[in-house]
Amino acid sequence: MVRLSKWLLKEAGTVVDKTLSDILVCPLSKQALRVCEEPPSLISDSIGVSFPIKDGIPCLVPTDGKILDTDDTMKHDNAADDSANNK
Amino acid sequence: MHSLQFSVPLLPTSRFKRHSVRCASDRQQLFNRIAPVYDNLNDLLSLGQHRIWKRMAVSWSGAKTGDSLLDLCCGSGDLTFLMSEKAGADGKVIGLDFSKEQLSIASSRRYLLSKACYNNIEWVEGDALDLPFSNGYFDAITMGYGLRNVIDKRRAMQEMFRVLKPGSRVSILDFNKSMQPFTALFQEWMIDNVVVPTATVYGLAKEYQYLKTSIDEFLTGKELEKLALDAGFSYARHYEISGGLMGDLVAAR
Repeated sequence: MVRLSKWLLKEAGTVVDKTLSDILVCPLSKQALRVCEEPPSLISDSIGVSFPIKDGIPCLVPTDGKILDTDDTMKHDNAADDSANNK
Repeated sequence: MHSLQFSVPLLPTSRFKRHSVRCASDRQQLFNRIAPVYDNLNDLLSLGQHRIWKRMAVSWSGAKTGDSLLDLCCGSGDLTFLMSEKAGADGKVIGLDFSKEQLSIASSRRYLLSKACYNNIEWVEGDALDLPFSNGYFDAITMGYGLRNVIDKRRAMQEMFRVLKPGSRVSILDFNKSMQPFTALFQEWMIDNVVVPTATVYGLAKEYQYLKTSIDEFLTGKELEKLALDAGFSYARHYEISGGLMGDLVAAR
């Protein structure tokens, strides 16, 4: 079921191929990027910027980046803590 | 390719107002505007020869089966598709450009051409001056008619050097800024009397006027070799092709 929904999202042009997300780094810090599915984007935690994915194409021109609010980064930290506590 | 019913007007050297295309975002918009007719115009203006030059550029890059390849300033994807054929199913090719419109066309072309090996291509919108790849990743890089258009050529060379594996090559195809007066004059005449009038038919006179300025501001073969060596490449050689109208810079890390 998970595989089917991932395939459907890829066909819809929002999911980036896993090997591509492994190859890509932040254009500014050159550090790893984290995939975010909703909204489809690549997050550079090193500099707190998110880069959109449009029609399956990652937009990694530096000026495409959007600075994340502290709220957005805190939500991610809380989600990570929750999943660690639940294990 | 369109079959056009027009006769190329034999204009006296046109005095169009020079459009300054100075900053990166101007150039990005220019390439977005010409995207819909870019391929047709390339075919028309080079009488199909650009396909040969591009095959030569790919050959000089040393790209082979199974490689991880990068095509910079990929535009509508001509070089990317050639690199994809070299890499095969076990390889990977990234086509990178800063024009969304060109990438859209490249992406659509991939589906229309529907060759199985083209599944190894990924399109990325990015900046040649800040590449979103880690150090030493690629086995070969091509760049077709891109270096002349980047704002900071030195930085572009440094980024290419950074993302190349040691021992790998970059192959940069572009117009040649010739030191031979006859060649330079012929090139200028072609732009004034063939390229711009043809582009005018498509409503893109201003955009193709930019071509002349960009060649004027480009580097000669010797200067390009020095640029590559200064960026850290251990070997750099500029090959003139098509009677000196075009050139390919090959540099090895």
